[in-house]
Amino acid sequence: MRFLIEPVEARSLDHVLRLAEATHAAGLDGVLLTASETLPAPLVVAAAVAARVPDTRLAALVDGGDRHPIQLAEEAAVVDVASGGRVILAVRPAPGREDVYGEVLDLLRLSFAARPFRFEGRHWTVPAGLDQNVHNPERRVRVTPAPAQARLELWVAGGGREQAFPRGLGYLADTSEDDADLQRAWQDAATAPASLGAPRARREHWTDAPTLLARLRAARGAWDQDWAAVAAPVEALREIASVVRPRVQLDRLPPGLEEFWDETEPWRLAGDTPPAGG
Amino acid sequence: MQSTAARPTHPTVLYRELVEAAELADRLGFHGIWLAEHRLWYDGYCPALLHAEALVAARTTRIRLGQAMLVGAQHDPAGLARNVATLQQLSGGRVELGLGLGHRDAEFDALGLRRDRRGRRLEEEILPAVEGLVDRIWLGGMATPTLERAARRGHSLVLPQTIYTHELAPILDEYRSLGGRGTIGIMRDTWVAADGRAADRARERIAAHYLEEAGAWWVLKGTVGFENPDQLARQRDRTLRAALIGTPEEIAARLRADVAAGVEVFVLRVDYDFHSQAELLEQIHRLAEEVAPLLEGAT
Repeated sequence: MRFLIEPVEARSLDHVLRLAEATHAAGLDGVLLTASETLPAPLVVAAAVAARVPDTRLAALVDGGDRHPIQLAEEAAVVDVASGGRVILAVRPAPGREDVYGEVLDLLRLSFAARPFRFEGRHWTVPAGLDQNVHNPERRVRVTPAPAQARLELWVAGGGREQAFPRGLGYLADTSEDDADLQRAWQDAATAPASLGAPRARREHWTDAPTLLARLRAARGAWDQDWAAVAAPVEALREIASVVRPRVQLDRLPPGLEEFWDETEPWRLAGDTPPAGG
Repeated sequence: MQSTAARPTHPTVLYRELVEAAELADRLGFHGIWLAEHRLWYDGYCPALLHAEALVAARTTRIRLGQAMLVGAQHDPAGLARNVATLQQLSGGRVELGLGLGHRDAEFDALGLRRDRRGRRLEEEILPAVEGLVDRIWLGGMATPTLERAARRGHSLVLPQTIYTHELAPILDEYRSLGGRGTIGIMRDTWVAADGRAADRARERIAAHYLEEAGAWWVLKGTVGFENPDQLARQRDRTLRAALIGTPEEIAARLRADVAAGVEVFVLRVDYDFHSQAELLEQIHRLAEEVAPLLEGAT
């Protein structure tokens, strides 16, 4: 399972950078950046993190459909290029824009390809071909720069999951989406060719290692969840990296590894319950 | 940030080089770094300047973050406001928001916007969305509607690089007479040349790059540049004559003349497609160490 860490408190760049640096130092995969009151544009924050922290994946959860998708695509592509291909763009429908969400995803995917396209949807036509724009008209557009990734990693979020399956996109579930529900939703999709290998993630809130471990084990069993996005403080990262992650992995490895992987905190093997007074 | 036929550059390297140049400019005491925007362009031109400047913000402490220009009329008001607020917060308040109108029909058309409504869109939708920055907003252009808008709303000006020094007075008079009290900035294409040969080479390449862009994409007097070779040649000559290319003494003399005419801030372009990154850093050094000292006391 791969781990993204989300700032519990993202009031300033310093908060985010401290967490991103600790995430990198702990050997975890990346950060998940969401809009906060003081930092309302996660992709701008992602660019700043890219300039200070190497390697780490930069996932940004943004609204789609409240403005032209080409502009969102341009921003994501710039950050992807600047970061050397580290962006994961998780898009949820902007409030009240659920009806255009499918077109948002299609326009994003066309924009992330390096080839020119035309698009005629119900809400957007690209290029629009307005009568007033007469000079040097273009019949197709190519959004630039092309992302650094061959295909910029695009995830569906915020309940738009029926849009994720047919497009083979990853899905970032909210904390409140329960295993049974996700299992039902993924039963058919899981074997649909388009969805093979598509990332399945859920957001989590850190409380303690046993709780997180239990949730992740159950989620993996239910719908093959293979990414976790955990809102956690810096102090929790070592435990996530050296206790939770190996424990999730252990279930699928040959027996006998436990004693080697559990030298620091032996109680966790005994049913993952801390001893009294511990 | 361009990767052209003359200087092919990996797109990721362009941004790394931007940060390196900005760190140097920050150390050498420059007031700001200003970037230019185009979208749907052919050579990697940056369509999201505030994101590029977030990289700079994270690696510098003092230098201000401007745009000459960000194509304001093509942005979404709420989206722009979020991006500006975030950059302003994470940079510790270093944003100088330079907003232009844009001029390529194709950029507007892709986004479903009418180019002929660009002024109205800037006025009615974009500027109100970033109102909080009022005295940190610079409007790009020199036409009366822009001067009037800037004067009325309390914004500063960034004049285009193609204006000759002797043409400044009527423009600035108009702005001031309309009640404009902001700062006067101007863009200048610049290259500090050690000798005549280096100056000629810079002139040649700046001209070639200008002809490529303007010829293929810009609209000059109603047609595309290449279809109007006389007009294109005139524009190229104007660009070259207005450019500051020469020894530190020659450049300083031209800057002093602009200052005497009322210019208060210079946005000096030194990033082109005919030089290496080392040469760019050398230009930044030379501006700070050879040109700036010659300007002390200029008013």
